[in-house]
Amino acid sequence: MPRKPARHHRLLPVRPLTFSPFARSVARVATAYLVKHYMHNAVQQSAGDEFKEKLKIIGRHSESSEDEEFDGVVQADFAFFDPKPDDFHGVKTLLQSYLDNKQWDLSGFVDLILGQTTVGTVVKLEDDEDNGVFSIITALNLGRYKDHKCITELKEFLLNICHEKDKIGNLRSLLGDEAQKVGLLVSQCVVNLPPELLPPLYDALFDEISWATEDEPTEELRNSFRFKFYLVVSKFYKLNLQQKNANQKRSSSTDKDEAFLYIKPEDEILHKLSMWSFLFPLQTQQVATHELKNYQLTGIVMAVKAEDISSFRQQLHALINGS
Amino acid sequence: MATRLQFENSCDVGVFSKLTNAYCLAAIGGSENFYSTFESELADVIPVVKTSIAGTRIIGRLCAGNKNGLLVPHNTTDQELQHLRNSLPDQVVVRRIEEKLSALGNCIACNDHVALTHTDLDKETEEIIADVLGVEVFRQTIAGNILVGSYCAFSNRGGLVHPHTSIEDLDELSTLLQVPLVAGTINRGSEVIAAGMTVNDWTAFCGSDTTATELSVIESVFKLREAQPSAIVDEMRKSLIDTCV
Repeated sequence: MPRKPARHHRLLPVRPLTFSPFARSVARVATAYLVKHYMHNAVQQSAGDEFKEKLKIIGRHSESSEDEEFDGVVQADFAFFDPKPDDFHGVKTLLQSYLDNKQWDLSGFVDLILGQTTVGTVVKLEDDEDNGVFSIITALNLGRYKDHKCITELKEFLLNICHEKDKIGNLRSLLGDEAQKVGLLVSQCVVNLPPELLPPLYDALFDEISWATEDEPTEELRNSFRFKFYLVVSKFYKLNLQQKNANQKRSSSTDKDEAFLYIKPEDEILHKLSMWSFLFPLQTQQVATHELKNYQLTGIVMAVKAEDISSFRQQLHALINGS
Repeated sequence: MATRLQFENSCDVGVFSKLTNAYCLAAIGGSENFYSTFESELADVIPVVKTSIAGTRIIGRLCAGNKNGLLVPHNTTDQELQHLRNSLPDQVVVRRIEEKLSALGNCIACNDHVALTHTDLDKETEEIIADVLGVEVFRQTIAGNILVGSYCAFSNRGGLVHPHTSIEDLDELSTLLQVPLVAGTINRGSEVIAAGMTVNDWTAFCGSDTTATELSVIESVFKLREAQPSAIVDEMRKSLIDTCV
């Protein structure tokens, strides 16, 4: 199954990418700070099927020399790959604090993610010997994997940390009766990953999900990707008013502090679109920087309806490419 | 007997602990599971001491020791030093050394007779190692890596080294150390052996990601199976005659 994207030459425009028999797109986004970029629209006809897929590779034009002066800037060519068993250590490192500091079957969870090759993407460097993983995104059907130890531990964790009475009923139904229709959206990336990668990454995931509903070999598997809801577990910074008042002296604060500071830009959009969400306190210690001294790192669990995903994708494009 | 365990979701147990034939050091962690696993295996035989070094939890990588002594880096606080001196047996000499390479656990690998050290270690430090730990010191590299303390783990009965060590290097090291060596991995393919495990003459502790194959290699090279009393009977059972017709 061809997975690797086409070779990228600096002088030629990025060539159209190949599709796997499952008609999955492997979006190749070349992101480099000093390399010339290309605006490119590729229209693809996949080998066996008869639908057209539009692939947009977005980049910035920049006038710069070819000299690689190392002044703190690194050139990197990122590529999207299917999850492979080799990626175990990289993905495990990224998901180390997924459930706060709870000791759970993280290795089993990572194995589940890597076992699902049809839906899920790993972002790595092109031709990297170290095989470093920069980002992982996937959606796991909670009903399909309900017998795995890691999923039962995850469900138990979420039910225990939910202290909002009105939300716990919703959570219980999503984790219990409705689990077959719920996809756990797992997305984690290194802190300094260029945000331009996020829209193609999410597009790739949701496209893979819709293709899986048609291309998976068995009826059961096809149904397992017909998600009605997505569950997201994430972290962000919440303004701690008591701390802020304590830190403030007589001098008036000129800046109006935002109530929430999102680490991942997509979390802001998901939070707005979510059906419901609840916050939970984190036990891991945080490093208090000067800018964030009034903020507290808080966990959040959100449930998003699958119908709202197209709106999410549009808003994500607008947010990243508009700003 | 080799045991699998985790330190707060991390499989790098060799980073947060130090095991020798005379004592065991464990880092202060969030949950008590880590410490109690060591306790349940070792409590009757050797003391298990909870400590920090230089205020950090990465004690396995900062200190180096064997049954004769323990060497700690210059940034160890006075309270930590005193705590170690009080908790360890009297015959174990605890010494704080002034060495610019302060991650002693990464620079020194030793058992009760031989030590391998980083090539750039001070001459003075080498003498202290020989004196306090009672070992013969050799400056070596392992598979081209100078951090010998990270890429190998050995006891008085066997040793495990970086997977890319060549056969010639393996033979040379084996002759120096006078123990059988094997090149292998820990924690599902990790090359940093000493970070993933800690071992002494009768037991080993490995990260929970260690596969069954890796574990069996460890048990065989460190001769941990024979350390069990029941193993003797099992071996003999094949030759014992139950009934004679």
